[in-house]
Amino acid sequence: MSTSVGTPAPASRLPREVDDISGRSARAILSRRDPPTVQIARLVILLISIVVLVAGWRVTDIDLSKLANAPNASRILLALVQPNVVERDVTQTELRTPYTVGTTGTGEAVATTATGQKLRVLPGAAKAGDSVELVGSGFEPDAEAQLRLDTGTGRTILLSRIPTDNRGGFDVEIEWPGAGTAPPGDYALQMLVNAPSGSLHISDTFMTGLTRMGETILLALMGTVFGVILSVPFSFLGARNLMGGSVVGMSIYSIVRTFFTITRSIEVLILGVIMVVIVGIGSFAGVLAIVVHSVGSLGKLYSEAIESIEPGPVEAITATGANRVQTVLFGVIPQVIPEFLAVTIFWWDHNVRMSTVLGLVGGGGIGYLLIQYIQLLQYNQSATVLWMIVAVVTAMDYASAAIRARLV
Amino acid sequence: MLVIERLVKDYPGNVRALDDVSLTVPDGEFVVLIGLSGSGKSTLLRCINRLVEPTSGRILLDDVDITAARAANLRAIRRNIGMIFQQFNLVRRSSVLTNVLTGRLGYVSPWQSVMNHFGEEDFRRALINLERVGLRERAHQRADRLSGGQQQRVGIARALMQEPRIMLADEPVASLDPATSHSVLKYLQQINREGMTVICSLHFLSLARTYGTRVVALKGGRLMFDGLPSEIDERRFKDIYGEEAVEVEIR
Repeated sequence: MSTSVGTPAPASRLPREVDDISGRSARAILSRRDPPTVQIARLVILLISIVVLVAGWRVTDIDLSKLANAPNASRILLALVQPNVVERDVTQTELRTPYTVGTTGTGEAVATTATGQKLRVLPGAAKAGDSVELVGSGFEPDAEAQLRLDTGTGRTILLSRIPTDNRGGFDVEIEWPGAGTAPPGDYALQMLVNAPSGSLHISDTFMTGLTRMGETILLALMGTVFGVILSVPFSFLGARNLMGGSVVGMSIYSIVRTFFTITRSIEVLILGVIMVVIVGIGSFAGVLAIVVHSVGSLGKLYSEAIESIEPGPVEAITATGANRVQTVLFGVIPQVIPEFLAVTIFWWDHNVRMSTVLGLVGGGGIGYLLIQYIQLLQYNQSATVLWMIVAVVTAMDYASAAIRARLV
Repeated sequence: MLVIERLVKDYPGNVRALDDVSLTVPDGEFVVLIGLSGSGKSTLLRCINRLVEPTSGRILLDDVDITAARAANLRAIRRNIGMIFQQFNLVRRSSVLTNVLTGRLGYVSPWQSVMNHFGEEDFRRALINLERVGLRERAHQRADRLSGGQQQRVGIARALMQEPRIMLADEPVASLDPATSHSVLKYLQQINREGMTVICSLHFLSLARTYGTRVVALKGGRLMFDGLPSEIDERRFKDIYGEEAVEVEIR
């Protein structure tokens, strides 16, 4: 019913045979031979790449043998699979008896408690190199007993660690240590037995970690919120499609984009160090670091979201006689809202990850706890915190992806 | 009355989109612009409301020089010129009502629009115009939930909110199927019969013949033909579209 304008296609003619092939293969005709200069350039680039990689290997001291011969690795790996999540309370039993060091004694020294634990030491005095028999009974089964020498000056000397058997007893012989460890004199022999008691409960490490993790998430939230507040107004000034067309507009655009790039180029850990110097150790320094770090990145992401809107509605609203502010309010903002929300949620998720390391430089959050455990060589506790970070970051990652998928 | 005098538009890269186009459109005409893609139809329409800045020449609407207008004045002039687009150019995520009210922005003070405030009068007009294009029941739906034809009718309602003197239409039915095309053009025809000047670019010559009271053809940015739809015969058709072209019957 309707007519339209068109150009009819000329009758097509497909040749049955390629003319003038003169016996050569089609592959040879079509294969591309690069000119020698290109081939040489390619070779030079390859050589330079190899040189750079070799230099990099040497400069960074790569030594794979260190990996194969790493005494701490197994402890750390073992701790990773044994995070300190649940624990029992520990009760300590102490027994004491006077003991003389420096003479070979006779008889025995005996220590008992009111709750039925008993330690016999034979003989009742010892000097370096003597064989001393220790007999214990009535302790917790499978616990560890520490034999110490109390100097009476507030210092104790560890002589031996003795495991109890499954009936709570032991009978071992030890060689009395030299004068360097236990100089002659009158001491009190002390036995400490640590035994778990009571039922399993969530460990203190885990509870502290949870508190710190909550603090970390809130730190990231506050940093993100202030980052959003500061970056949204600038993002409109950093969008080429809104600022283009005049010299003034493009100047503002360039200044804003440069500002974004500068704040974005400083790593969050460095910002953390700077902020700790300014406002002192604690979460506030972390929040400030996150804010500065976020303004540039969020601003850039928002600006790019604005630049990717459909120009049509903006054109249409301009045509109605609306001014610039009205055009942005009615033509730009409704289009960018879902993208802005998606960017913000993604960035909160990103900031939670950043916040977990800010503690390493004193910026508060769970990283502060982690660095303490690592420095105290408490690997099981460190593992607890590490796994907590893994769990939260994974959950945030998943949640933010799910929310973004619904928004855009 | 719209008067276009010796209009020239050069795009960067030495591209002359409009070359010395002069045209006078008395009130109440339905002018159909035809021509190949790239012949300058869109540029001509966009020069009339200064979405595109002309390089030289003058455009006068009721003796007001559009080409000389400065910012505040330009706003007032644009209010008098409605425009609808090939891709409808609605804000997809906003409601139909919001899109229609947008047409009123040229009258609302910027501060009122910051508060998203439209007056009772604006809502009354929105109601009338939505009724007019038969979409009153759809007022609170998101614009992108509507079919193409419905979206274009929202575009017409938005333009009518301006209470314009003339209506520009840039390929308003090129994204629509033939039946919907007729329904949209009938709305434009009705508006025209109520006295509004319509300038509309179209691809289908048959539609130009049905709805236009006058046909203006552009070729390579120059005015090629200006006359009654019935005057376009085989020879003029080939002048406008080239020797290779034929009028194709489509079902």
